[in-house]
Amino acid sequence: MWSQIANSFMAGFQFVINCGPTVMLPIIITIVGLIFGLKISAAFKSGLTLGIGFAGIKLVLDFMTTNIGPAAKAMVERTHVHLNALDVGWGSIAAVTWASPIIAILIFVILFINIILLILKATHTLDVDIWNYHHMAIVGIMVYFVTKNVLLAVGSVAVMAIVTFKMSDWSQPMVQKFFNIPGVSLPTVSALSSLVIAVPLNWLLDKIPFFRKSKFSIKDAQKYLGFFGDSMIMGLLIGLAIRIFAGYGLQQILQLGVSMSAVLVLIPKMTSMFMEGLMPISESAQKWSQKKFKGRKLFIGLDAAVIVGNPDVITTALIIIPLTIAMAVVLPGNHVLPFADLAVVPFRVAMVVALTNGNLLKNIVIGLAVTASLLWCGSATSPVLTAIAKSVGIKLSTGGSLLISSFAATSMIQSFIVYFCFTWHPEFCVPVLLIVIALTWYYSDKVKHINKEAEAAENAMKAKD
Amino acid sequence: MTKHILVACGNGIATSTVVASKIKKYLSENGVDVQTTQTRLTEVPSKVANYDLLVTTGQFSGDTHGTPYILGLSLLTGVGADDTLSEIKDALTKQEP
Repeated sequence: MWSQIANSFMAGFQFVINCGPTVMLPIIITIVGLIFGLKISAAFKSGLTLGIGFAGIKLVLDFMTTNIGPAAKAMVERTHVHLNALDVGWGSIAAVTWASPIIAILIFVILFINIILLILKATHTLDVDIWNYHHMAIVGIMVYFVTKNVLLAVGSVAVMAIVTFKMSDWSQPMVQKFFNIPGVSLPTVSALSSLVIAVPLNWLLDKIPFFRKSKFSIKDAQKYLGFFGDSMIMGLLIGLAIRIFAGYGLQQILQLGVSMSAVLVLIPKMTSMFMEGLMPISESAQKWSQKKFKGRKLFIGLDAAVIVGNPDVITTALIIIPLTIAMAVVLPGNHVLPFADLAVVPFRVAMVVALTNGNLLKNIVIGLAVTASLLWCGSATSPVLTAIAKSVGIKLSTGGSLLISSFAATSMIQSFIVYFCFTWHPEFCVPVLLIVIALTWYYSDKVKHINKEAEAAENAMKAKD
Repeated sequence: MTKHILVACGNGIATSTVVASKIKKYLSENGVDVQTTQTRLTEVPSKVANYDLLVTTGQFSGDTHGTPYILGLSLLTGVGADDTLSEIKDALTKQEP
């Protein structure tokens, strides 16, 4: 009898998966919402909102690839610049992530790791920003897609979570000092990941007085480069450029300009549906956890969006954006055609700016190194990402030659390393990875005591009780 | 008269959605008719002039073209959120001729 029940459960599960993400998402998110204690009506509305967001992203992606695909192909053939992996943006990748059948498991893995680390007092960061879990979850989804092994997928997400929480602990004193936001840490992979490259490189550059003492600054960067920060204009220019290089006529050049401008403006609007749908779940998780960890002095984990408005971050980003496009063309081995994620370059450089304490010359050098890593890792993993997108029903209408990529997911060095270790000889790579993490952890917490202020504050709270 | 608030964050999606919906909920409970628009911080200078109030989730120091500006970080952390909300309400109702 039990096997009958299990069988019909599996059949039901398979039925839901076969319906595709727009049906599966509302169902899965409704269940997740119920587990987090939402009323059924609120949970269902959350789920449906995500389903709508996915449908919207799909529309825009189809529109984007039908328009840009043939033009990009023609550009590659005509100019021999081999950029055939279109950057569809982190929002599209997030949509693909939330549409995966194993997402529900991965959310709870991340939350569980956070709670365990908090109970063990191994982290100071309380991260219930469920939305940003997608950066960690996509690694598991990619590992699962390649290995078909749920344990490896769960393991990779657990490692992503541990690394993310520890890095947000360690960067907290620096973030607090530079951006002046106390009591907050930023467990957002899209910002933290850059530190993997930035910390050693910054150490190296500091050995050279020319870099260490540089007072290089650019006045009015925002005034003159401001249009690089405006999605509308960026989309227009890139759209125009692609069809110019592809050798189309003026009419078609202008058409792609406006279409691409539309894509860059519409993707965020669709993505915000996901955020809207997940908000009630995040809020209820926040209420629960704050009650649970009352009396602990913890950093509240926030989206790194709160620091990217800093003028030094904006200046650095506005300089890096045009250089990213130039680098994509000349960097050997790169296939990524930068597009939608040019809008989130500020996230990739925000931590770098805090690390160098606003040294613009170092910011640019490190920023370019980070950019190179994004392009290379993005090129390397774009075939897998493309296959996953197809598996959740996103049509890439231009046949086999066009790939998709982004500056999120495994284009980011932290995610790439974890993904690589869990898919390429994991029996060897995973232990090595764990040892490196353990040594870094020991050095940062027990030798350098990076979070000594937070430790002292926690002990003071305990003494008061 | 409907008031228009520009809510800005890093990508115009994540934190600005949270802040905008909290502002809308609070103001509608307090009888202030309001419309929010979300945007990215880098696009604030080119848009802000047409709004009654600018709220950002993080530090912002660009040109606001004389539009009043309130920092909304507390609405994310919850620490001091009520003060910020009433500050937002005051800023909007004060402008009434």
